[in-house]
Amino acid sequence: MTSLLRRCWFHLTHSRHERELAEELETHRQLRQAQLERDGLSPAAAEAASRRALGNLTLAREDARDVWTFAWIEHAWQDLVLAIRGLRQSRTFALVAIGTLALGIGANTALFSIFNSLLLRQLPVRDPPSLVTLAQGSWTYPIWRAFEAQTTSVFDGTFAYANLELDLAPAGRREPVDATYVSGRMFDVLGVAPLRGRLLQPADDRPDGNARVAVISYRFWQRRFAGADSAVGATLTVDRQPFTVVGVMSPDFNGPDVGRIDDVVIPFAAEPILRGVDSGLEGRRMWWIEIMGRLKPGTTIDQAVAGLRAVQPGIRSAAAPPGDKGFLEEPFRLASASTGRSPLRGRFETPLRAMQATVAIVLLIACASLANLMLARALARRRELSVRLALGASRWRVTRLLVVEAVVIVAAGAALGLLFARWSGALLVQQLTTWRGAVSLDLSLDWRVLAFTAGLAAVTALIAGIVPALSVTGVAPGEAMKESSRSITGDRRLSVRGALVVLQLALSLVLVIGAGLFLRTFAALSRTPLGFAAGGLTVAGVNLPKTVEDDADRRALLARIDDAFAAVPGVRAAGLSVITPITGSGWNDQIGAANGRPTAATRTYVNAVTDGWFTVMGLRRISGRGFTRTDRMGAPPVTIVNETFARRFLAGRPPIGQRVTAGGPRDRREFEVVGVVSDAVYRSLREGVVPTMYLPLAQQESASSSITLTVSTSTGARATADRLLADTLRSVDPGLTFALRDFDQFIRGGLTQERLVAMLSGFFGGLALLLAAIGLYGIVAHAVDVRRVEIGVRMALGAGRAGILWLVFRRVGVMLALGLGAGLVISLWAARFVSELLFRLEPRDASTFTLAVAVLLAAGVLAAWIPARRATRVDPALVLRDG
Amino acid sequence: MGLTNTPSDLLPGTLELLILKALAHGPKHGYGIVEHLRLASKDVLQVGESALYPALQRLLVNGWASAEWGTSDNNRRARYYTLTTAGRRQLAAERAEFERMVGGIQGVLRTT
Repeated sequence: MTSLLRRCWFHLTHSRHERELAEELETHRQLRQAQLERDGLSPAAAEAASRRALGNLTLAREDARDVWTFAWIEHAWQDLVLAIRGLRQSRTFALVAIGTLALGIGANTALFSIFNSLLLRQLPVRDPPSLVTLAQGSWTYPIWRAFEAQTTSVFDGTFAYANLELDLAPAGRREPVDATYVSGRMFDVLGVAPLRGRLLQPADDRPDGNARVAVISYRFWQRRFAGADSAVGATLTVDRQPFTVVGVMSPDFNGPDVGRIDDVVIPFAAEPILRGVDSGLEGRRMWWIEIMGRLKPGTTIDQAVAGLRAVQPGIRSAAAPPGDKGFLEEPFRLASASTGRSPLRGRFETPLRAMQATVAIVLLIACASLANLMLARALARRRELSVRLALGASRWRVTRLLVVEAVVIVAAGAALGLLFARWSGALLVQQLTTWRGAVSLDLSLDWRVLAFTAGLAAVTALIAGIVPALSVTGVAPGEAMKESSRSITGDRRLSVRGALVVLQLALSLVLVIGAGLFLRTFAALSRTPLGFAAGGLTVAGVNLPKTVEDDADRRALLARIDDAFAAVPGVRAAGLSVITPITGSGWNDQIGAANGRPTAATRTYVNAVTDGWFTVMGLRRISGRGFTRTDRMGAPPVTIVNETFARRFLAGRPPIGQRVTAGGPRDRREFEVVGVVSDAVYRSLREGVVPTMYLPLAQQESASSSITLTVSTSTGARATADRLLADTLRSVDPGLTFALRDFDQFIRGGLTQERLVAMLSGFFGGLALLLAAIGLYGIVAHAVDVRRVEIGVRMALGAGRAGILWLVFRRVGVMLALGLGAGLVISLWAARFVSELLFRLEPRDASTFTLAVAVLLAAGVLAAWIPARRATRVDPALVLRDG
Repeated sequence: MGLTNTPSDLLPGTLELLILKALAHGPKHGYGIVEHLRLASKDVLQVGESALYPALQRLLVNGWASAEWGTSDNNRRARYYTLTTAGRRQLAAERAEFERMVGGIQGVLRTT
């Protein structure tokens, strides 16, 4: 130990040591000289003899110094300095290598950090592994109350929550905020602490208590109150009700859902205040609540499930709607909630995995590219390396030199890659935000991401460094040191580079095929005919004032809105509808008199609309009539259907006048078909056109408190159109609130996943193609260079241009054939994994495959053409003379 | 490379043993050690500087000797090496080991 300390001390003071040693040696020499003089030599001879006796001063000093230093540190430092210096001299190589790696490692890290944030990171709460959630789906509020009461023996604490969007605006145009209803014990069970003020407590969640309290998120606190302490105690108007802010959550806790920041958190007891007569707390058939709990210490999930299933009958009887026999039949299941919940997971898991595979392949290609580059460089430095070998460096030492160089490149690439990952990760997450809601993921570096990056970098360095080092240091020094090699045999080491290029070609083909498939999917999807004219439409989600509670009053208000817009100049057409197309929401019913759930053969989709809606959406009337004033409450039920409906359910006879039975199990009714309109997309672009029944809005018995108003104005300007809408709505009833969007947002939102996948795969496919082409160019150029003498001899012996070209392309052809062949095999195998991401395309689509192969072939031929042409320009006389 | 007739060619570590023994007789500088060894071995062992000084550094690293600057007889600045307690222990140990080795070699030579 102490010798270690002494060595460290030496390092700090080593220059002084050197001086002292020099002085010591000089004294020694003088003493010897004095001795020799006493023995009878002349001073001059004595001095000469003593110097000779001293011997090799340098070696002595080095040996003395070596005793003190850690040899390996010295050598490592030397290698590092040498590597950096060498890289600074070959700047292009360094830039290309580091750049390629930064992209490869950065892309992988970006995707992994999204993965990590969405799927791996635990919630920042107390003891995450003991958190569980009641699995698969939402629950009703009565179920929650029964659950809370009857599971105290199973759990150490339970809570419920429901996410939704609320409105902060006092009137008129909505100011949406991401909000959550929570049960009183949530914060307590999770074990989080407030940043300011206090968090919600069970006392806040009582129907007879003061439920007008809210807790806000850190982000909301900064944005709305600028981080002022006065926020606690301030009033916040939520859905036009005053709430008091009682606390601020800490910045790292954003709610139990991952990917969403709960800006405003209020107790369930506040829900009836906001929704009035539409309150969902009594709704025995409203499934909208998530339930989570904390296991008792020492209990496993299976034990808890057993306990839960024991109390399930009790919960069922307490929460079942009267007369419902099949309620809560399916046994309760629990799932671990240590990483929270997220609706994003289901939505984005498959495309994320596809992207992860893509960037992993890109990294492989980058590695192969780097290994190739390093091999080429090592070959170029053969003479230098042989000199080192001849001077006495061991093969291990020279290998270490090359490995250190690879490590430097990879470390620089990884560091740059981390930066790139931060930027591109944030960009990717931004792309996920749609009209549906803002996605926010915490992409900060945690140990998992850093370990992942470091691991990748280490593996890359090993592969990229060892491969060239091993193949180059195997050369006998004398052989390589010769100025020129008149060898006419090719370099067998080219086969390693050739193998690397074949690998690159194969992987690039896989990525290019993938890019082709995804780009075509995106193109096909975005070109799907919608069936309606979506341009220039403003869609307003209108909420009726809470004070209008009666169904009849609501119907009257809706009618007034409809009439108001019919009369406004500047509005070309306007219509109301319960369902907005392409938003993913749907209402379906069963055709026919059979019981049970609707099957594909008996299902139809439904929408309740006003007549103006057909006009504003641009649906054509094929036959029959539209809805008129006679189609109101009390009049015979009528329906207008689309062409697909007519084809499927009314085939044979003319549709107008036919009767159709439709409805759920409780409200089966008979409708008369009075018109047929053209087809239009209903729920999503992927699902496309489905049989649709349109019912008159005026004939809907129960009116919901929200409706969609679609308007087409004659003025093009967005702001003017919005103002017109706002003014008209306000003139009907100032208590109406609305949120404005235009249709393109819905369409764009529906294409998010496909667009993302197409963008990324296109970019990486292009990158892979470029890398493969560069790799091919490099190896062909080098081969031509090495075989210059051979080509000169052949040309001198009478070979023509074509013969030389054939010589070069023969090798290229072999590499292309092997690479593309392997790539095809891999693609054919891997295609099945991406079939669910495609649209109207077979995963083994022949035309895409053929096109991809053609593109790679063309790129390869072009890459090889340039050096091949150089080969034909070789002047045999010059080559043979200089060698 | 100077007179490097060092016993370390034959038995590794012997040079350190000899230096330790030389220092046991009192602090010496480098040249003094060389002279002591030459005289004591009757000119058989003549150690060169390129072997001596690395060996001295090894003694310093392992804490068997300590060094101090002083003035030599001919009024020159020289570094004097002194044996430490640990050095004394090491000297005894190495001596025992050396005698064991020599005994073993002699045993082989005697039997043939």
